[in-house]
Amino acid sequence: MPSTPAGRRYLKRFVPTMTAYVVALFASNRIAEAWQPEGVALVALSFVPALPIIGVIVVIGLYLAEEKDEYLRQRIVVSMLVGLGLMLSVTTAWGFLEESGVAPHVPAYFAFILWCAGWGAAQCVLALRERMQGSGA
Amino acid sequence: MKNALRALRAERGWSQQDLAERLEVSRQSVNAIETGRYDPSLPLAFKIADLFGLTIEAIFTNPAKEADQ
Repeated sequence: MPSTPAGRRYLKRFVPTMTAYVVALFASNRIAEAWQPEGVALVALSFVPALPIIGVIVVIGLYLAEEKDEYLRQRIVVSMLVGLGLMLSVTTAWGFLEESGVAPHVPAYFAFILWCAGWGAAQCVLALRERMQGSGA
Repeated sequence: MKNALRALRAERGWSQQDLAERLEVSRQSVNAIETGRYDPSLPLAFKIADLFGLTIEAIFTNPAKEADQ
């Protein structure tokens, strides 16, 4: 994220939210192993690691709402759309491959990872293009 | 969109960073506008025009008129 006030606020929110995710994932796995809950308890426990990830999505949304630099915001939104395109393409194709029995089942949370990967790759390409075109200073 | 931002900035001896600080945007934004990779919103275009004491048309070339030339 850029070093704008909104970018700094994003980092301040992102780090504790991701830390919460790591703790939630670890705790959820350990509790599931130790107590082997069933029914509603298992549903609730399985949902726990998803909460911080949903929190990260909220943190990203807050950044977009708070970023005052319109060019940087536009560049990030374009990168996010590239990520969205990648995620939808891969998950759609994978779904059909899976249905035909030629691809293994993949957990749905990989969609978010794919989106992040596409977003990050697009950001790198845009930054590289900017650098290659020179600063013009 | 073609524009005279770089020339106007050079006349005043400002760096891209100087102009960015005056406009309260990032240096990347100034660079993207100068090189024509990004067209600013109307509020930002007015802010640029106000800073240089010019009209928007005096800084940015109308793309429709540019095609006629």
